[in-house]
Amino acid sequence: MKRRDFVKTMGAVGVGLYASDLVADLLAQSPRQRVLESRFKGLSDIALGEAKRLGCSYADVRFTRNVSDAIGVRDRIVTGGGGFGGGGREESAGFGVRVIHSGVWGFASSPFVTEDEVKKIAAQATDVAKASAISKRFEVRLAPTDTYIDYWEVPVKVNPDTVTLDDKIAFLMKINEAALKQPDVMRVQSQIAFDFEWKYLATSEGSVIEQELWRTFPSFNVTARKGNQVKQRTFTVPPKTGGYEIALEGKMLENVERIAAEAAEHCTAPPVGVGLKDLVMTPSQAMLTIHEIVAHATELDRIVGYEANYAGTSFVKISDLGKMKYGSKLFNVTADRTIAGGMCTVGYDDDGVKSQEWPLVREGILVGLQTNRETAHYIGETHSRGCTFATSWRNYPFLRMPNVHVDAGPPGSPTPEEIIADTKDGVLIDGRGSYSIDQQRFNGQFGGDAFWEVKNGKRTRMVSDVTYNAITTDFWQNLDAISGKESWEMFGTTGDAKGQPVQINHPSHGSPWCRIRRIMVGAAYAG
Amino acid sequence: MSYSRDQVKQITDKVLNMAKADAVEVRFSGGERSATRFANSSITANLIEHDQEVAVTVYYGQKTASATTHQFDDASLVRMIEQVQELAKRKPDNPELMQPVKGPQPYVEIDAVLPATANFGPAERAAMVKISTDICEKKGVLGAGYIPKLHWTDALANSHGLFGYFRYAEASFILTCRTPDQTGSGWAGTTGVKDIANINAAQLTEVAADKGLKSRKPRAIEPGNYTVILEPRPAARFLSLVLGALNARAAEEGRSFMSGKERGSTRVGEKVFGENVTLRSEIGNPILRQTPIGQDGLAAKSVTWIEKGVVKNLFYDRYWATRQKQEATGTQPGMSLVMEGGTATVDEMIKSTKRGLLVSFFWYIRGVDNQTLLNTGMTRDGLFLIENGEIVAPVQNFRWNESPAVGFNNITMLGRPVPMHTGEAYDNPGTALVPPMKIEDFTMTSISPAV
Repeated sequence: MKRRDFVKTMGAVGVGLYASDLVADLLAQSPRQRVLESRFKGLSDIALGEAKRLGCSYADVRFTRNVSDAIGVRDRIVTGGGGFGGGGREESAGFGVRVIHSGVWGFASSPFVTEDEVKKIAAQATDVAKASAISKRFEVRLAPTDTYIDYWEVPVKVNPDTVTLDDKIAFLMKINEAALKQPDVMRVQSQIAFDFEWKYLATSEGSVIEQELWRTFPSFNVTARKGNQVKQRTFTVPPKTGGYEIALEGKMLENVERIAAEAAEHCTAPPVGVGLKDLVMTPSQAMLTIHEIVAHATELDRIVGYEANYAGTSFVKISDLGKMKYGSKLFNVTADRTIAGGMCTVGYDDDGVKSQEWPLVREGILVGLQTNRETAHYIGETHSRGCTFATSWRNYPFLRMPNVHVDAGPPGSPTPEEIIADTKDGVLIDGRGSYSIDQQRFNGQFGGDAFWEVKNGKRTRMVSDVTYNAITTDFWQNLDAISGKESWEMFGTTGDAKGQPVQINHPSHGSPWCRIRRIMVGAAYAG
Repeated sequence: MSYSRDQVKQITDKVLNMAKADAVEVRFSGGERSATRFANSSITANLIEHDQEVAVTVYYGQKTASATTHQFDDASLVRMIEQVQELAKRKPDNPELMQPVKGPQPYVEIDAVLPATANFGPAERAAMVKISTDICEKKGVLGAGYIPKLHWTDALANSHGLFGYFRYAEASFILTCRTPDQTGSGWAGTTGVKDIANINAAQLTEVAADKGLKSRKPRAIEPGNYTVILEPRPAARFLSLVLGALNARAAEEGRSFMSGKERGSTRVGEKVFGENVTLRSEIGNPILRQTPIGQDGLAAKSVTWIEKGVVKNLFYDRYWATRQKQEATGTQPGMSLVMEGGTATVDEMIKSTKRGLLVSFFWYIRGVDNQTLLNTGMTRDGLFLIENGEIVAPVQNFRWNESPAVGFNNITMLGRPVPMHTGEAYDNPGTALVPPMKIEDFTMTSISPAV
């Protein structure tokens, strides 16, 4: 289908991604997959030409179109939902120009996609760089990259914009109806969030790259009350790059009764108490712990101090590479921007570097870090790992984490049931809950969404007031069981905040079931 | 880019004329967001973001839908409106939908744009960085900081005759100074400043650098309950934990710290905090100079939330107010927020403390238990042990688990309120007037050697 025809079709069936403004018009007039014939090529040439004329040693221009579209149903009332944006439908398009002049970055962005504005913004970015040079103490050094002229897209089975609003509401309403039939449920919210990202990058080094992504995140949440206790329970379909099929295949309705019953049971569940327990983590629980104390700690820009004023630095030092014992022998961590379905999976990063997969931890030893063109030289690497990303046209690109996974155990690893059967005194935790980590990612306190006591190899009853304390390297050193690839799952987060002004990233984190021996639980409630 | 009242009125009138529905609401926002970032005493990002957005909401009886665009040409606006009209008609009725607020609202006049702040550009920001990093170099520390500037316009108009317009320009200076051996770190900053003459980069750098140097090689002390002196930044973050609990609906539905013992009741009239805790929204406060446009365009009025520890008012959204036969609260709890202070200086608080901690910064605060307001967080960028009225040593950071329901009953001294952001980041409005405070028996749970 030609893009122009696609626009017409969309107009007929619902809300058209490409049909809402002038940027969309330019996009519709551009032939799909032929990046050099795009209407944005000429505009890019203007930006890059102006930057060159003004003496910039490097420049790139990035046009993006971002649509976050969420729909929710709360207690049978249609709401804006939430997820990738603030809820409801948010559309935004524009461009940003990034230059290096006098060895310093300059960046400016605008929503007015006209030839005059592109030229003006390129000049403004250059002025910003020139102004910044007075307080420069070191110069930007970019690792080299190959140049690419390419088009890349996420495979989508069911384009979310081809599904009518009526169908989406009906899908979510069924979950509402099923939940509200359950005893003790006082509130239910079901929702699907979609995120569409189109971007066109041209660099002064000759790369021209166009990419289109869809991300889909379905979930529901119930609130139950028993006596004076109120508890929530959330069911999350693993969010992925892809289309509406992720919601259809997510088994939401099939899980309503169980989730509602668990919310109710949680209301009367006894506190876990304070003490050392073995922790059994499901993949949906391990996701956020991996994110906070592995993925963030191995961002090289943090390690060298770029985030010292906000997100923080890291307990990891450059000299730890190849030496630090991050975890037990079972602990293998992989960074990956190529895995199918990963929310950070792309063809190229926002520096125009081809995406890749590489090891961060092998058999417990730290062996790699996340880098981009700007930071690779700090660890003596000659090429970037491709971790540059900007939330939208409006924002400057900088180092953001890719998908970061704990690898599944080898063949013969225990099943989740076998891990539980082998646990004498433990707590099983599912889903994400409260989370807080110090600025160097060493002392973390985590909660969860639901908790069960494990006694003598059996899952006995739900418990409440569970938090656990993780001193990062001690925590992963205590990893003594992981399940195999059959139970490995990839969950993710839509709210990874970093940078100033704050930008949002959406990484996935895959994990097997993990058991951590002898971890302090319940301390948060002890005061 | 700056948008005058007339320019914005033209845009909103145009959209209101284009859209056909039972009722229409138009929100405008636009302007310039700029920022300079530096780390290791060198600029790492300097940027100017221009943006503008129109959001349209159409109403057909109890049906509604919204859409946004950043392109204001006629064709883009028409397409957005057609899209949202189609979308609204397809939606089921929303029984909780409130029709737009009727008629002009009596907004308080607030002058929030000073030319020097509106024109605070990349060169001026870079010069400020140089002042700061030169001091850092002299003192032997590395500066990492952020200077955001916002020159922004928000407006709301509807087909029932409402038009609200507010333009403001504000800037902040936020700095962390670390020692080259990475064993010391200190913080200083000021936020939401309407008059940039009030940003003294040199003085703030002296404070952050001295803290960084004094905090080198901290020693570990035992977790436990401590007297804490919260400087304005951690005090503002701790105060922010109360704001979410001021929602009347959550309270009356039994889901909140403010829920009363009987189902459907609240704690209004009950003394929940100490005598010295008074919290108000002061619309038109001459230091804050924040928006007078409240919920759905209602004129925001000054509200006392907590007076001498007693809950005086909760926030009623328009739907819940109608249902509960209450007046809707135009003012959201975070608006123009002022916590009443006292006369004590931080030095006097230190002198009066037998054993305690001076806290420069709170980091990564997250809720643990919603109904008790139990939260956890970390100290950061300068934590000092006080013994017998004097700072005796830097100490390693603590994780804390505490509730303002406990902490705000244990305040023994308060200082003069100063502007300080209540949020984790500094990008959007959210500055309040917050005093430094001394709190007894604050629960420190575990140690972190993180610097």
